[in-house]
Amino acid sequence: MSLLVLDGVTKAFGGLVAVDGLSLDVRPGEIFALIGPNGAGKSTTFNLISGLLGPDRGRIVLDGADITEITPASRAHLGIGRTFQLMQPFHDMTVVENVMTGELFGHTVPKSLAEARRDAEAICHMVGLDQLVNRDVTGLGVANLKRLEIARALATHPRLLLLDEVMAGLTLTEARQAVAVIRQVRETEVTVLLIDHVMSSVRDLADRVAVLNFGKKIAEGSFQTVAADPDVIEAYLGTEEGDTHQH
Amino acid sequence: MSGRQAVQVLALAVVLVAAVAFPFWANRTQPYYLQIAINIISFAILALSWDMLARTGQLSLAHAAFYGLGAYTSALVTTRMGLPIFLGMLLGSLVAVVVAAGLGMLTLRLRGIYFAIGTLAFSETLRVVTNQLRFTGGATGLVVPPLLGGQRVPQYLLILAVLLLAVVVSWMVNRSRWHFAFTAIRTNEAVAGAMGVDVVRFKVLAFMISAFFAGITGAYYAHVFLFISPIEVYSLAVSVGALVAPIFGGLYTTAGPILGAVVLRVGEEILRSTVQRGYPIIYGLILALVILYMPRGLIGVWASVKSGLATGRKETREPAGP
Repeated sequence: MSLLVLDGVTKAFGGLVAVDGLSLDVRPGEIFALIGPNGAGKSTTFNLISGLLGPDRGRIVLDGADITEITPASRAHLGIGRTFQLMQPFHDMTVVENVMTGELFGHTVPKSLAEARRDAEAICHMVGLDQLVNRDVTGLGVANLKRLEIARALATHPRLLLLDEVMAGLTLTEARQAVAVIRQVRETEVTVLLIDHVMSSVRDLADRVAVLNFGKKIAEGSFQTVAADPDVIEAYLGTEEGDTHQH
Repeated sequence: MSGRQAVQVLALAVVLVAAVAFPFWANRTQPYYLQIAINIISFAILALSWDMLARTGQLSLAHAAFYGLGAYTSALVTTRMGLPIFLGMLLGSLVAVVVAAGLGMLTLRLRGIYFAIGTLAFSETLRVVTNQLRFTGGATGLVVPPLLGGQRVPQYLLILAVLLLAVVVSWMVNRSRWHFAFTAIRTNEAVAGAMGVDVVRFKVLAFMISAFFAGITGAYYAHVFLFISPIEVYSLAVSVGALVAPIFGGLYTTAGPILGAVVLRVGEEILRSTVQRGYPIIYGLILALVILYMPRGLIGVWASVKSGLATGRKETREPAGP
């Protein structure tokens, strides 16, 4: 059975159809990548799955339950965790307090502040933030903000983790570290749905890939299959070259 | 208990004893001071009440509305229905809480300045409506029965107790999981929601807590000053005062709004008695300068002084990337 199903999901902003009749099927335990040129509707899809946007048409089903109409918080409680492409740390909080917020509210197991702090520190350790737990988030560099995004999402104890461009802006070494973290997450039976422009990471990580263009799915399959697909090549060559050849 | 905590507890105990002893001294020698003290404490509760709502990012201009609802409800049920004053004050704050829950639901989607204007419109509407209605006494206002037989010392002790309750609530909010929810919502509502924070619930709860303290302070005002009118209790000055003190003293803290309220009111009294004419201009100038040059308020200055004293200690640095 599928963990996440999108069934004919459509979202338009005025005249612009950002996501157009999209159907997806993410299986438990896999790493599924959503790729496509800028403006293809990838981030909108994430917003629809996490509930920050409501679809105009279509259904979203998590583990057999229709979640199309419920709030983002309820979806988090059902096991959807996500990062944000533009890093959105809670200023006025330290690194560990950011992560604690997920431990306290992101799932249904009640935790005391002390327990939440202890578990948040363990997650900080896992993603490589252990030196920075008590630091204010203001002034953190890109790599650490990306780590914090992942740590916060993990703190909600997701069954499905949505990673929105966690590699973008990282050096090669940092990206490799991020890949290692994502593999480690999958080991804990978390299903991963990721958006990325860094093709080498997608190739290394993804079990399956779906390609979006103008809100529609134009290809799906293994990385090798979609990379050889003429429609996919055309979609990418139709935009700026940089999209496919970063790193 | 560490040495620093012991000092803090001792300092708090001294302040508390002084605050409780004060009216007995003032009542014999300087009754006017007692009046000022009651004003300051009421102002401090209003400031703390505003701050607790602001912790969720909701910058209200409706505190006059909750204050006025408390005042008018209590005044009306005690004069028209003959209910006891304590019951009236309780009903007054409950009406403020219920209305705040409704207003909170209505303004959920408004942010920043739009939220402020929306709440201001609500407050002004209440003032206009109260001005027109016959049973509220219209523009003439209402004469209100005195609290505790009009004795200033017990009146003072009562409002001090309400302030203590507000302090305890604020302190508990800032030391519980609520603090994380409030701060997350204030910083980024969408992210807070995606991380599982029930945004609607916490925003409306903050509204209700805030309105309770504003409402009870309004009701108290009515029964201590014995006369209310729409132009006074629904005044924009009440709403603006409620937000100026926390900004001046230090936002999102328990001590900041209280400190801000005390310093502002005492400063105002001193200016009033030393500069006979034009004191509001100097008062306004000082406010503007503080807000421009001390963005974290008095508490922020105190924190910088403390960390300045502690320089030389090692700073946690972000390690350079590989």
